[in-house]
Amino acid sequence: MINLKINGQDVQAPQGSTVLKAAEQAGINIPTLCDHKELTPYGGCRLCIVEVQGFRVPIASCTLPVSEGMVINTNSEVLQKSRKTILSMLFSERNHFCPFCQVSGGDCELQNAAYHEEMTYWPMQPGWNDFVVDTTHPYFILDNNRCILCRRCVRACAEITGNFTLSVAERGAASSIVADANVPLGESSCIKCGACVQVCPTGALIDRTSAYQGLLADVTEIKSVCVGCSVGCGITLQIRDNRIVKIEGDWDAPVNRGALCEHGRYDPMYEMRARITTPLMRKNGALEPVSWEEALSAVADKLKPLSGDPQNGVAAIASTRLPLETLNTFKELFGDGMKSGLVTSTEEGMTTQAVSALADKVGTFEGHLDTLKNADVVFCIGANIAKSHMVAGFMVKRARPFGIRIISIDPAEENEMDEIANISLKNKPGSDLALIEGLKAIIVDEGLGRTPLTIANPQQLIAEAVEKTGLDVESLSEAARGLAHGVSPVILYGKGLTAQRNPQLVEALLELATLVGAVDEERVGLLSLKGEANSQAAAQLQMESQFTLNGHKAVFAAIGDDYVSKKLVERVSVAPYLVVQAAYESELTAKADVVLPVTIWSEQEGHYINLDGRVQKAIRAIEAPAGVRDNQAVLAELAQKLNIPLSGDWQRASQARHSSVVLN
Amino acid sequence: MTAPVKEHDIPALVRTAIEKHGGKQDALIPILSEINAVLGYIPGEAFHQVSKQLQDDPTEGVFVAESQLHALASFYDMLSTKARGAHVIKFCENAPCHVVGGKAVWDALREQLSLKNGETSPDNKWTLVTTSCLGLCSVGPVVLVDDDIYGNVTPEQVPNILGRYE
Amino acid sequence: MQTKRAMILVSSDPESIRLGANDLIKSLNESLAAYGLQDEVDVSAIADIGRADIVPLVIVYPEATVYGPVKAADARYLVEEHLYKGRVATDLLAPPKQLSGHIGWLRSRKGYNPSEQRIVLERAGRIDPDSVEDYITNNGYEALGKALTEMTPLQVIETIEKSGLQGRGGAGFPAGRKWRFVRNAEGDKKYVICNADESEPGTFKDRIVLEGDPHLVIEAMALAAYAIGSDEGFIYIRGEYGVAYQRLEKAIQQAEEFGFLGQNIFGTDFNFKLHIHAGAGAYICGEETALIESLEGKRGEPRTRPPYPTTNGLWNKPTLVNNVETLSNIPAILRNGPEWYKSIGTPSSPGTKVYTIMGNVNFSGVIEVPMGITLREVINIYAKGMKPGSSFKMAQTGGSSGSIIPAALQDTPMDFESVRKAGVSLGSGALLICDQSVCIVDLVKVLLQFFRFESCGKCTPCRVGTQRAYEIIDRITQGQGSFEELEQLPELAAEMERASNCGLGQTASAPVRDMLKHFRTEVEAHIRLGVCPTGVCPMVAEEETAPA
Repeated sequence: MINLKINGQDVQAPQGSTVLKAAEQAGINIPTLCDHKELTPYGGCRLCIVEVQGFRVPIASCTLPVSEGMVINTNSEVLQKSRKTILSMLFSERNHFCPFCQVSGGDCELQNAAYHEEMTYWPMQPGWNDFVVDTTHPYFILDNNRCILCRRCVRACAEITGNFTLSVAERGAASSIVADANVPLGESSCIKCGACVQVCPTGALIDRTSAYQGLLADVTEIKSVCVGCSVGCGITLQIRDNRIVKIEGDWDAPVNRGALCEHGRYDPMYEMRARITTPLMRKNGALEPVSWEEALSAVADKLKPLSGDPQNGVAAIASTRLPLETLNTFKELFGDGMKSGLVTSTEEGMTTQAVSALADKVGTFEGHLDTLKNADVVFCIGANIAKSHMVAGFMVKRARPFGIRIISIDPAEENEMDEIANISLKNKPGSDLALIEGLKAIIVDEGLGRTPLTIANPQQLIAEAVEKTGLDVESLSEAARGLAHGVSPVILYGKGLTAQRNPQLVEALLELATLVGAVDEERVGLLSLKGEANSQAAAQLQMESQFTLNGHKAVFAAIGDDYVSKKLVERVSVAPYLVVQAAYESELTAKADVVLPVTIWSEQEGHYINLDGRVQKAIRAIEAPAGVRDNQAVLAELAQKLNIPLSGDWQRASQARHSSVVLN
Repeated sequence: MTAPVKEHDIPALVRTAIEKHGGKQDALIPILSEINAVLGYIPGEAFHQVSKQLQDDPTEGVFVAESQLHALASFYDMLSTKARGAHVIKFCENAPCHVVGGKAVWDALREQLSLKNGETSPDNKWTLVTTSCLGLCSVGPVVLVDDDIYGNVTPEQVPNILGRYE
Repeated sequence: MQTKRAMILVSSDPESIRLGANDLIKSLNESLAAYGLQDEVDVSAIADIGRADIVPLVIVYPEATVYGPVKAADARYLVEEHLYKGRVATDLLAPPKQLSGHIGWLRSRKGYNPSEQRIVLERAGRIDPDSVEDYITNNGYEALGKALTEMTPLQVIETIEKSGLQGRGGAGFPAGRKWRFVRNAEGDKKYVICNADESEPGTFKDRIVLEGDPHLVIEAMALAAYAIGSDEGFIYIRGEYGVAYQRLEKAIQQAEEFGFLGQNIFGTDFNFKLHIHAGAGAYICGEETALIESLEGKRGEPRTRPPYPTTNGLWNKPTLVNNVETLSNIPAILRNGPEWYKSIGTPSSPGTKVYTIMGNVNFSGVIEVPMGITLREVINIYAKGMKPGSSFKMAQTGGSSGSIIPAALQDTPMDFESVRKAGVSLGSGALLICDQSVCIVDLVKVLLQFFRFESCGKCTPCRVGTQRAYEIIDRITQGQGSFEELEQLPELAAEMERASNCGLGQTASAPVRDMLKHFRTEVEAHIRLGVCPTGVCPMVAEEETAPA
């Protein structure tokens, strides 16, 4: 620990800490504008300057490393005067006439800083050139006239999202924030994650949906978990009048540290589907509103006789966006209670079954997202992290300036990975096993492996790989070498691989990972992306089978707020009797015999297991509309009507089986 | 005189520049300078190509985003992100040239060309810009036309100087 | 221009004038004419002697013989003896024990041109810059050979430390100490960078060296690399210096061929690879951390400090950054020894300084003189006086960020210590001499235009301060100035100086400060009377001519 003195107070700080952080930990407030705890210190605004004994001029504390015996003064009269002048400069620089600004009145860090220094006006005559307000983006607006050039947005775009869309153009007073090579934001490479908006201290970047919807002081903040995909990002919901006015990444969430993607931040804000708020029953061919009692009784009456018939009874399918508690109740109700032979999830195990099967055999073998932090090579197979599981993609993309090499293998013609990958190979569909075996053979053949592996006839495997994948040997070798040269490689695989439902593929990949040192005693750099928010929970509950109707007389589909694919609708709707538990109108509800209106993600509570085994709780943020019932409650009530006992012990149920990832 | 952009094969130009200066981070300014020298400015397509070709280099791939390249180019005065005229006139606006009569030369240039600072003539013949000191202060006022240096310039000489260019 | 054989300086402080210095000058000129020497010998006045006991005082260069006190009646005798017959007029000599202090260093300045002494510019213009042989026959690479074969790296550093050489980039930091810092910094890889991004308006001394004597810089960098334990160096040269770039490129190639660069230099195990990197037009890249950023292929935005480049420089490795002029002193110091170097200049600022002279004077160009010369001497002697009809009003020193020196301060010796005391900055050595036709407000406006254009924009005080200050001054030139805004200027200036991240912002306010300190009346005339006393400013609103 380093000892220093701040404002006469003895302070200890770890080596490498900045004076600003040391002061903060000691409870000493130093005003800042450009600094942000999740971004690399910048030292531009100069609000945080402090006097350091032995230095001629004050130094920005956000970039100043602590050193032994340092004597710091953060709040002399001269510094106070400096801060006022610096703020005056900022206010006079561009259009900072607060009354017209969205963030004025508490959400503007510039305004707040001025109030903190007890400023009520600025004495300098402003003089600025008007910048064109960029309104081309679907979600937010970039107004350089309100910009203080702190570059948090530029840093966030690079350091959080890894997209590098925003940067500064020109220099000096003419500087402005632009996208790419100065193109309109809406036509740029922006992937709409909104990190820039979240970090903007002024009104230069504002959300279209949340603007003028309420300041931070007017809203209630609730921390929860995003259920957009299996990454399980922590989110902060801003609630006003039982309405979500804004979703932000939770800076304290260990998974994403504030990062969020377009889907997590904006999809819920732009929800356009029609909500169902009353139970519906098909009467004379048409769905008509009925009471909950009538609907549930009718369902119970219909299902009761089907109990105990695994083959021809009821088939049950539930969305992997539902909480673990709900999925467990679903399983208990239809599996244990009604003895249905077909209780599965809407993903049908496409993203987990092959993985789980290997875990059943070898135990836990997958690692953690954190291994990406130190990865120098990321090998993605059947995984488009540039599009799905975007925040995991951020973790890879933001490492690009530090020399991370990205190898992508995927047959898909259109793949966003092509843009970010250093090596991008498109093998023939179904040739993955040959490809993996071929890569292993090349690595062994060239002596690049980190662990011993004997392959009898590598040339034959390489030849087979070339033949089956349709790739030339040079491309395969380049990929193999790229992977093998990594000091700390990480292998990510996704639906493109797991949907083939072949555990052999996963096993081959594990062997490859061991061969190149992605998996060793110290680190496990192998991870499948899973699918939706609770794919892993469904896997643990063994809800992984394909949904194939035999003589089933009824289907119960608990869709929640999920979307249903056309293919699933086709397969589900052939059932003689269809019960759909859903929040929104869809093709499926249109075909249902009974529709039970239920809560959406933000109206319910429950646990989710993310892709690397983190068990996280999503919190209820708002009240459901009248007439809508909780997903879990509906199942419980149905169980009661069917006289099926429920244990509700979801913890035990989720641990009844080996998991591919460590659950914690 | 620089040729119009369309006559150039930008990907090939970028490739040549990268081969000449190497594909590392510290070669970015030389690469951009090279492109600027050939095209007279750096079009958006060139930024895209530099970013792409640097990343695609299988052995030494370096990641530099288009935005970062644009940020770089727009920072430096000798690089232009906007198309310029066939001849670029740079006038030193610093104090040493100013006190020996620079202002009158500047006014003569603006008047002759009917251009303001930073503007390009409608026929794309001239671009008029001010520049910072060129280190030729002992012969101020100094005017640079493309690579030709004119020292001890008087307002009366301006028509003659401009007349030398097609 | 005819070369002068000798030069006579006559003290002209108030006391000397009271005792007849003006008559003495007149008599000296008459006597020179009488002996037909008027074209061979210059007579100039100097001031600030501060030794009432031996004035009027006469110093005759190049021998730097000091006579005093001298009366007008002695003039003919002095000219006859010293300049015609070529022997010292011993009876008029100032008592040797009196020749200390200011007179001491005036006397120490001896040279082949009237008191010019060339170390940095020793070869520039005299040798073929494209010929390494020319360089070698003029003592070239002698110092490198000596250092590599006879000296340890630490001995090289000690020699530089003993010489008292201070960095010529502007701050005057002891060069040897900087070398030692880098030598002592932990790191397996270290870099040497030559800052040849000479962009200070009015400064072109480095260009003269780079174009005229490129091997000098190469030799010095190799010496520095040997001393600090580096094997790789960069010359960062401003993009506008095309000729210098080509000469350096060729020189490096020759040096490699001759084994002065590359592997096993002089048969030792010392290796040194040298690269040239051209800038692309940004004044700020003369700031060493901005230069490093630029070298790394980034926007030239200065880093925050500490840590300093000496420990965390290029690619985060310990890095020595020296300016061209600083480096150009190194080989001569190692060849001739630190004592020789210390004998030049003043005790606190040894060595020479290269100045570039321009403005309303008869001679514009570059000179190299011992540290401690006064502005008056520069104007009267080297610049051959003000232009006909011009009288000295002020000088702008050290490029844009230097000082504006009024007539009252023109006798301050220009060495690091004295100028610091006088609140003046030597900066880059540019001396822009302005006559009565130059308006202070207009001049400061031009300087601020430069700064607001060259500010990188990273930190608030510099980015906004330069802009606001420019606008306030611009309004004054357009007859729209106000005293309220005039009062804001010192506050702006102080904050820029205090809170800016780098030297640009910290010194950009210097012209404003000097304007208010020395020329307030002239500024106030613009506001109070709506009149520009020199008639330069339009005093009416005019369209914006400069870019925003």
